[in-house]
Amino acid sequence: MSEILKVAELSKSFPGVKALSKVNLSLRGGEVQALLGENGAGKSTLIKILTGVYQTEEGQVLLDGEPVSFDSPLAATKSGIGVVHQERNLIPYFTVAENIVLQNQPQRRGLIDAAQRRETAQKALDSLGLAIDPDEIVQNLSVAQMQLVEIAKALATETRVLLLDEPTASISGSEAKKLFEVVATLKAQGTAILFVSHKLEEVFEVCDTVTVLRDGESVIESSPLADYSHPQIVAAMVGRQLAERTKRFRTVEPGEPVLELKELTTQVGHTDVSLALQAGEVLGLYGLVGAGRSELLRSVLGLHPIVSGEVFVKGKATTIRDMRDALHKHRIGYVTENRKEEGLFLDFSINRNIAVTVWRRLQEILGIIRHEKETEVAERFVERLGIRISSVMQLAGNLSGGNQQKVSLAKWLAADTEIIIIDEPTVGIDVRTKANFHELIMDLADEGMAVLLISSDLPEMVAIADRIMVMRDYKFVGEFPNSKDYAEMSTKVMDAIHSGSPRQNA
Amino acid sequence: MKYLKKRVRTTEFSLTVLFIAGFIALASTSGGVLFSDQSIRSFLTYLAIPILIGLAQMVVLAVGQLNLAVGAMGGAAAAVMAQMMVALNSPIWVALLAGFLAATLMGALNGLLVVVTGLNGFIITLGTLTILEGVQYALVRSFTIDGYPDAVKDFGKIVFFNVPSVFVVAIITAVILSWFFRTHVVARKILATGANPLAARLSGVSNPLSVFLAHTLSGALLGIAAIVTITSLGGINRSIGGDWLLSSFAAPIIAGVLMSGGVVAVYGTVMAASVIRLVDIARAQYSLDPSVINFTIGTVVLSTVALSEWRRRRSEVKRQKHVEVDSE
Repeated sequence: MSEILKVAELSKSFPGVKALSKVNLSLRGGEVQALLGENGAGKSTLIKILTGVYQTEEGQVLLDGEPVSFDSPLAATKSGIGVVHQERNLIPYFTVAENIVLQNQPQRRGLIDAAQRRETAQKALDSLGLAIDPDEIVQNLSVAQMQLVEIAKALATETRVLLLDEPTASISGSEAKKLFEVVATLKAQGTAILFVSHKLEEVFEVCDTVTVLRDGESVIESSPLADYSHPQIVAAMVGRQLAERTKRFRTVEPGEPVLELKELTTQVGHTDVSLALQAGEVLGLYGLVGAGRSELLRSVLGLHPIVSGEVFVKGKATTIRDMRDALHKHRIGYVTENRKEEGLFLDFSINRNIAVTVWRRLQEILGIIRHEKETEVAERFVERLGIRISSVMQLAGNLSGGNQQKVSLAKWLAADTEIIIIDEPTVGIDVRTKANFHELIMDLADEGMAVLLISSDLPEMVAIADRIMVMRDYKFVGEFPNSKDYAEMSTKVMDAIHSGSPRQNA
Repeated sequence: MKYLKKRVRTTEFSLTVLFIAGFIALASTSGGVLFSDQSIRSFLTYLAIPILIGLAQMVVLAVGQLNLAVGAMGGAAAAVMAQMMVALNSPIWVALLAGFLAATLMGALNGLLVVVTGLNGFIITLGTLTILEGVQYALVRSFTIDGYPDAVKDFGKIVFFNVPSVFVVAIITAVILSWFFRTHVVARKILATGANPLAARLSGVSNPLSVFLAHTLSGALLGIAAIVTITSLGGINRSIGGDWLLSSFAAPIIAGVLMSGGVVAVYGTVMAASVIRLVDIARAQYSLDPSVINFTIGTVVLSTVALSEWRRRRSEVKRQKHVEVDSE
């Protein structure tokens, strides 16, 4: 089959970040191509350009050899590019048929033609071999069925290129099988499919070719998947350019753990998980995206329910009900991975963003807080972390990503926390600030703080952790002292990920 | 200079200029009648309620919610005060305190229901609105209760240098509230909840507590509004509070308080209420149709919201550019 979609030297920048840099990709009819990359590698940006959410900046997107530029998602749909997003995009109270024809309602004399609608929908469902009643209300379907309806919806508009963005993220193994059958049907019909997934097993199962993005660049460009092994693909995804930089060796004196989890079972899916963290240590939790690391710590902090097992803080068994408990009773801080949504008050000044954790301590008689006191605290940490701003009265929303991240770390330092959980600290941050951040984390541990670092960036992990625990499918599958030798550590970690217990197909 | 420039750009400043210009225009076209002691006194007397109910709405908007029951809460509280004095012969201070506490309690109840049920404040206060209207009716029926001691009405007639006592009450309340929002730890938490509930939760702020306290505070402010009502009007009937809802939203929204929460503007709300009051005066002055007033206020609210949205988007664009420069 001939080439349908081509991406040539495509670049896209956002304030402070180069999201895509000269990306190339070529997709033929009847081909299933995997689009891989870690978080922040540029996959979503690429998909958003292909579907008209973002506009092309440099480089070209060609459809049947003709350069195209979509100024809206509708324009992309009309040109035959369909997409099934990670988030559900169906209207829950409408029927299956109503959803399928939503973008192109059949009409007769200005009114909706219900018979035609049903027919179009039925045809789309039939072509995929789906036994779903077109008159069923979408709300009553299972997540997997909704997914399939979305594919049918994409196909109802003469789709020749179908983008599937993590289609199996929230469905079970047997449901995924059904989905793959549909993908195979489409492939046989000549549709070009771009398949985004974090699950390498299924990628190897369904895809013919592969494109890997790393830091906005295409490091593998539409090559046959058969030419690569699992570890080679993972190595391409995580890279090793940072590995040879600074090496700082630290020794951690053995001591009593300050935070210990014993056989913890959580409602989000961990079973009998244990770990121990001691003061002055940087313990790294490594795993691919979706391995369950953030979910584990968020459960410990009371954000998801714990089913059984025990949490010990400084040797005492305890229950942490919420962040208030964690902060005020146990002196635990949590730097979230979503700094804009969860970490900061973008419309508040920097000093309030930093002082929020210490308002309780700063208050004087009758609960009064003096502005100067907030400023004093904020300025101390702005200086200590080297946050580059003109004044602590600046709004947090006006800072660059790196400085925002430092502000969201500063508030926990201001609160004198003894244990700090740092989740994906350097996603979307430039290389220089990243190195600076790494130094900072190790400095904190040197001062006696216990640091629990979650990162999907293996070079980062090897650069700063003292010990690395590897998680996969909500279980720890390996634990290694860090030699800070990238080649050695990456082999160990990758082996652990691949030899780990096989996927449970529920 | 930069400081001055910043001040001039605020909504508060625009409102102040608008008010002064409007007042002068009205006063001059009326041949100076507006400057008479009597006019100023009545202008300020009838400004007290719009200020207080605007503030009562503002504190709930601060956590990103609404209070549809402002009128019913104030009306029911005023009815409680009137009937305690008339039917139960309670001492004045006991009746006023009881009414104030009743309003505060209604606010607390709104807050509690929102927190416990997890439903939006819109639905909860829509429910309590209807219930409290019933309570108000049950208390006063179709009568006007005016048999309470003259001392109550006398308080409303006191003037200090031509400034009526009820206006002083409203201004003192506003000053205290403004101080509260600038300096108090609880206020900071309320604003944090409104600005970003997720971040607030992860920073150890209790969002349910913030929501509860905001509604309770709203109730307390309406308790003060009820006291002002009973002292400045001749009697209490079932229509008291019936027309509070629109102006309670109009003042804070015009002042730039966001529906999404996280922002308050006490001075701005006071100024916006004053501007709306001017429109009312203009109607009396030029014998305009009352529908003109509603039309004008509605238009002003819509255009202010549109203007602030436009401003927000423009600052967003600026912010983006700023970040780009910053990261170079």
